[in-house]
Amino acid sequence: MSALAASGTAPGGTTGTVRAWGTARLLAGTGSRRRVDLARHRSVHAPLRSYDAAGLAEAAEAVRLLGRGGAAFPVAVKLRSVAPGPRAQVLVNGSEGEPASGKDRALLRLVPHLVLDGAVLVARALGTGRVTVAVSDAEAHASLDAALHERPDRGSFRLQRHDHGFVGGEVRALARAVSGGPALPPGRRVLPTVQGVDGDPTFASNAETFAQLALLAELGPAAYASVGCAEEPGTTLVTLLGDVPHAGVVEVPTGLPLRALLGEGTGPVLVGGYHGTWLADPSDLVLSRPALRAAGVSLGAAVLARLPHDTCALGEASAVAHWLASESAGQCGPCVFGLPALAAGLDDLARGGDAVACLRSRAAPLPGRGACAHPDGAARFVASALEVLAATGELEVHRRQGQCGRPLRYTLPVVAR
Amino acid sequence: MRLEIDWTRCDGHGLCARLLPERISLDPDGFPVIGDARLDPVADAELLRPARAAAAACPVLALRVERTRPHA
Ligand code: SF4
Ligand code: SF4
Repeated sequence: MSALAASGTAPGGTTGTVRAWGTARLLAGTGSRRRVDLARHRSVHAPLRSYDAAGLAEAAEAVRLLGRGGAAFPVAVKLRSVAPGPRAQVLVNGSEGEPASGKDRALLRLVPHLVLDGAVLVARALGTGRVTVAVSDAEAHASLDAALHERPDRGSFRLQRHDHGFVGGEVRALARAVSGGPALPPGRRVLPTVQGVDGDPTFASNAETFAQLALLAELGPAAYASVGCAEEPGTTLVTLLGDVPHAGVVEVPTGLPLRALLGEGTGPVLVGGYHGTWLADPSDLVLSRPALRAAGVSLGAAVLARLPHDTCALGEASAVAHWLASESAGQCGPCVFGLPALAAGLDDLARGGDAVACLRSRAAPLPGRGACAHPDGAARFVASALEVLAATGELEVHRRQGQCGRPLRYTLPVVAR
Repeated sequence: MRLEIDWTRCDGHGLCARLLPERISLDPDGFPVIGDARLDPVADAELLRPARAAAAACPVLALRVERTRPHA
């Protein structure tokens, strides 16, 4: 954190810079980092159209809205799989346990009412009045708390602050935690849409998803889709860090070339965050979840990081791998033993070891072997790091010299809380 | 049908790999690796019995033969 805070891009402490490029929708009214209170919110945004569940799903489908938490699951499909009625629940996941990401806390700190409007919209569509908002960042919590005091519909909301870490923010773990259980992913594959908060059918999604739904209900599908690319219209929030022209949180129209966000640097790029994918050269890719997925890359938590040339790249990867291992919830053998082995393997390579093949073979069987996708994400992070660092010659330098001579600058922060 | 493991329960006894070596091997830490989880009632008919036996033998009831797997 300290390294990042010094460069002004630490998402954990402050949100760094937060700005919109082009159309400010989510961030409308936040000029010069101003928190939008209810009066200002009502003057910036028109009242929302109201929808029933089928209508809202149809609108979400028309703009191909995808969840903004990481899994990029189609919102329409999720809406249709929750049985409407007074038992239904809505869960706003504002945990953002990803240390490199700052977008959700920026949103909750600056425009809490947009997120809350989105949650009310979904609750009404589902015919329920039960909304839980879970958040871990203190300033985001204070912002939401103040926002709820301003709202006449505050009786529908339950605001919870938690500190469950990366895996505890996984939606099934969170649903359990807000129901009074342990903040651990369940071993059996229960779906929150069927059995979520308090065991009730639950529409759970990331904070930005709710803000996007509010915009959709404000603008209507046609106007919503008037910016951005065809396969995923609208804007999206991204956290940029490292060797990039403008580090911080940005709202941008989808469809931009990643080059436009990452600038002209040549260091390796991490797309998606700590469950994401390293790329040596992402210059032919565009910012769109479907397009990236087609290229075998997940936008994940919407983090784009480029390593500067003055940090030890292998050390950066290793620091994150150790952090991922430390965040394992300790429930599942392959995760508990496999993740520390990956981190130790990277350390070994940094000291001049040559067991690359062995490390690859440790990463390969991890996906799918845990109660949550943590091992999958960690394996993807490490395997793609190995590929990119081999291509850039970094591994070879370490193998020959036992070091690369550059200090570890922690461009990728590893302390979230 | 599919082989499913509840990873929060499995403690790497490795019994399943001995009872169903056609599908289950063990990683360096002794935890099972399922080669192919699908069990087709027709094509894999001869594996159904040992698969059920392996599930029944798992000391912590971590291994199951499930009908279908809901999407995550
Ligand atoms: S896979 Fe890892 S992080 Fe996920 S529940 Fe199991 S032990 Fe915890
Ligand atoms: S027998 Fe059960 S506990 Fe043992 S390795 Fe297999 S699934 Fe895990």
